[in-house]
Amino acid sequence: MNILGISAHYHDSAAALVIDGVPVCAVQEERLSRHKGDAAFPLLAIESCLQHAGIEPDELDAVVFYERPMLKFDRILTCGLRAFPQSWRAFPKAMKNSLGEKVWMRGIISSHLGMSGRKVLFTEHHQSHAAAAFLTAPTSRAAIMTVDAVGEWTTLSVGDGERVANGPTTIKRFRDIRFPHSLGMLYSTFTAYLGFKVNEDEYKVMGLAAYGQPTQVEHVRKLIRHTPDGAFALDLNYFEFHTTAQRSYSSRFVELFGPPRNPYEPIDLDTADGQRFADCAASVQQVLEDTLVGLAQALHQETGLPDLCLGGGVALNGVANARILAESGFERVFVPPAPGDAGCAIGAALYCDRIWFGNPDHDLPDHPFWGPSVDGSELARVAREDGHLVGECHDGALINQIADDLAADHIVGWMEGALEFGPRALGHRSILAAPHTIEMRDRLNREIKYREPFRPFAPVVPFEVAERYFDIPSGGARLARFMSGVFPVRREWRSRLQAITHVDGTARVQVLEPAMAPRLHALLEAYGQRTGIPVLLNTSFNLAGEPIVNREVEGYSTFLRCGIDVLVAGETRVMKRKAAMTKTPVNTYLNKEAV
Amino acid sequence: MDSARPHERPTAFDRMLTPLHRWIWSDADRRVHKLFRFSETETDGGRDILRAAEVTSDPLLRRLYLEHAIDEFRHGVMFRHRAAALLKVSRCHSGFQGDWLAPGGHGLDDLQVDGESDSDMLAFLHLSEKAAASRFTVYRDVMQHDPPTRAVFEEILHDETFHMNYTLTQLARVEPKRHRRHLWGARLSRLWKAYLRLATGLAGILGSMLLMIQYFVLLPPFAWLAKRAARREHSGWTIVSPGANESLNRQY
Repeated sequence: MNILGISAHYHDSAAALVIDGVPVCAVQEERLSRHKGDAAFPLLAIESCLQHAGIEPDELDAVVFYERPMLKFDRILTCGLRAFPQSWRAFPKAMKNSLGEKVWMRGIISSHLGMSGRKVLFTEHHQSHAAAAFLTAPTSRAAIMTVDAVGEWTTLSVGDGERVANGPTTIKRFRDIRFPHSLGMLYSTFTAYLGFKVNEDEYKVMGLAAYGQPTQVEHVRKLIRHTPDGAFALDLNYFEFHTTAQRSYSSRFVELFGPPRNPYEPIDLDTADGQRFADCAASVQQVLEDTLVGLAQALHQETGLPDLCLGGGVALNGVANARILAESGFERVFVPPAPGDAGCAIGAALYCDRIWFGNPDHDLPDHPFWGPSVDGSELARVAREDGHLVGECHDGALINQIADDLAADHIVGWMEGALEFGPRALGHRSILAAPHTIEMRDRLNREIKYREPFRPFAPVVPFEVAERYFDIPSGGARLARFMSGVFPVRREWRSRLQAITHVDGTARVQVLEPAMAPRLHALLEAYGQRTGIPVLLNTSFNLAGEPIVNREVEGYSTFLRCGIDVLVAGETRVMKRKAAMTKTPVNTYLNKEAV
Repeated sequence: MDSARPHERPTAFDRMLTPLHRWIWSDADRRVHKLFRFSETETDGGRDILRAAEVTSDPLLRRLYLEHAIDEFRHGVMFRHRAAALLKVSRCHSGFQGDWLAPGGHGLDDLQVDGESDSDMLAFLHLSEKAAASRFTVYRDVMQHDPPTRAVFEEILHDETFHMNYTLTQLARVEPKRHRRHLWGARLSRLWKAYLRLATGLAGILGSMLLMIQYFVLLPPFAWLAKRAARREHSGWTIVSPGANESLNRQY
């Protein structure tokens, strides 16, 4: 049975193909269209999935959209009416936005794919999140919590799931919290207030939080109160996201926290304002964590289950995830590699397969590598044409050479196999570097990532020695499998792991098992033999404002535009030759004064 | 206008609009808005040209496109920095922005780079750069009262002129016999896109007006009902009844 899952039109659209109960391909549209956070209907991603499997659209048994468009429209319309007349500006925009394309998904999908509309199905947004979290996790029974900004109406849901090998699967939702009361919207409001991009830069708030003190917690608690039934509700006097499209926080919010940050001014932590913004970030982070831990504790007591599957965009908050693991009572916390909306494509397809069609359960491959693959020979061809130094050798020799490069403080662009699905680079499209010095961190920030200095870099470490360098609690290695948890760097190693140790002594570590990415694991071991510390800095292979690279040519163009010294794709290694960058005919041609 | 080199002469249409441009750029808020917009347009254009560098099979074009893309990204940063500097002294307010006067097509809007041939891409780029150079010449000349912004346009204009020239030279190299035909094709395509932009803009305005009228004429009673229902809603958990929302055929 061939089932295609689609997520689109909010942010980060994606497609995923499930064949006979097993995902065979999943890819975000941005990786193919090269527009970061591309929310367009994922035609390229769909094409890529079908091409990968070698099937035509008419061979699909079902196409599942990840949410119910009319239910979402109901929420948008209702909120517009409730906010009358303040919503007079937002209303026409919202209607045009929804009525233009978003509510006609059945017709759009069937016309794009040339198939019957009867094959087009719809899951609920949080059903998709729950399925993505539970059905991809190696557990047969677990509590499920999904938390994001908003789906149709739901912003947070709790329930449980059970699956039996080669038997039936159930996912039950006990209860939910509905818009406008939303933890995701609370965090996004602070994201906007702190001058970052909503739905994109929430992780910057998390990074900034480590530089502040939670001195404003009491103020944040005025915005969110606990309800007698153990849930929470926002005080809407402090927000405007439910009434206008201009601003998510109200004047009362500004009275409480002070003037918002100008997005075009850098954050200077040495100034009073800079520290105020860091304190705001620390405060909302703490309130978010406390609320999530409270909800998870209650869910644990209710279900008595040892495992929790966590989905939704808020599950990208690694600091909160680590606290849930430590304090909620759950022994293991599973967060999929793409807990956000992109992951809903895979969730919707799996939900349809297991629950709607009632197909038997299968164990799924436990990795994030579902995208297109790189071709090292294509990289070699292009790099040779441009006069760079190209080497092609077998794995052992290549790994040793790259380990030597890294030990010599070279920065390596590392591409191998299939592209990761989700926002994290987990070893197939990564920039790797030595993690030991502040100078390396600064060099990466200056020459490659061009990003705010307060943002930390992540490390990758082999599973076998992870606890030597990082204080990983029981169950933490699972959370760290997909970089979903933030854990302390052991004090004795911090001075030798400066580039990946955040200001609060933590790191968003990836714990790598050999089976998941064998070549990267071998590279870590080879690097460890040279330096005594088998840990590498692992950051996503992209430049600021661009999606993670997909194909070798994208890696190559990124390599040429920044300070990466060595580029690897498959068994091809390319080193920049300075002469190729300065004395080729093209540079003679590029002498602009001469033209 | 005296400072204009031969290749930096604005078109007659742009010259005709000079008083309007002068008025638009005279206001600091509008200047900030337009500079931010240009920053986005240049960055988007850079992204598309970078894509062209990645998909072309011609090594020389690959390198030229790459250099071009880097220029466009740099222009985006220059515009953004200048706008941010102006923003310090003037908060941006809405008002007449004159967006439709922005150099359309320069951002390669809706261009499917992956599906374009090198010659089509070069023709399109050449005309886009030419149009931008013409418009930026006017902007530079009306910016007498703001030397730093004028300097930004001056520097970018210099690059645009280079881009305009290399794209034409390369088009003649890639398609020595048919490059004029490609240029005409690109001109028609730009004209069509301009029409589409205008039509979409007008349709958007009409749509907004109609929706606004409906909002104030038809919706008040429904708004009253919605508000009354909202008051009755409790906050906190909502129990999900078993079996609810199980059908995947439903869109609601």
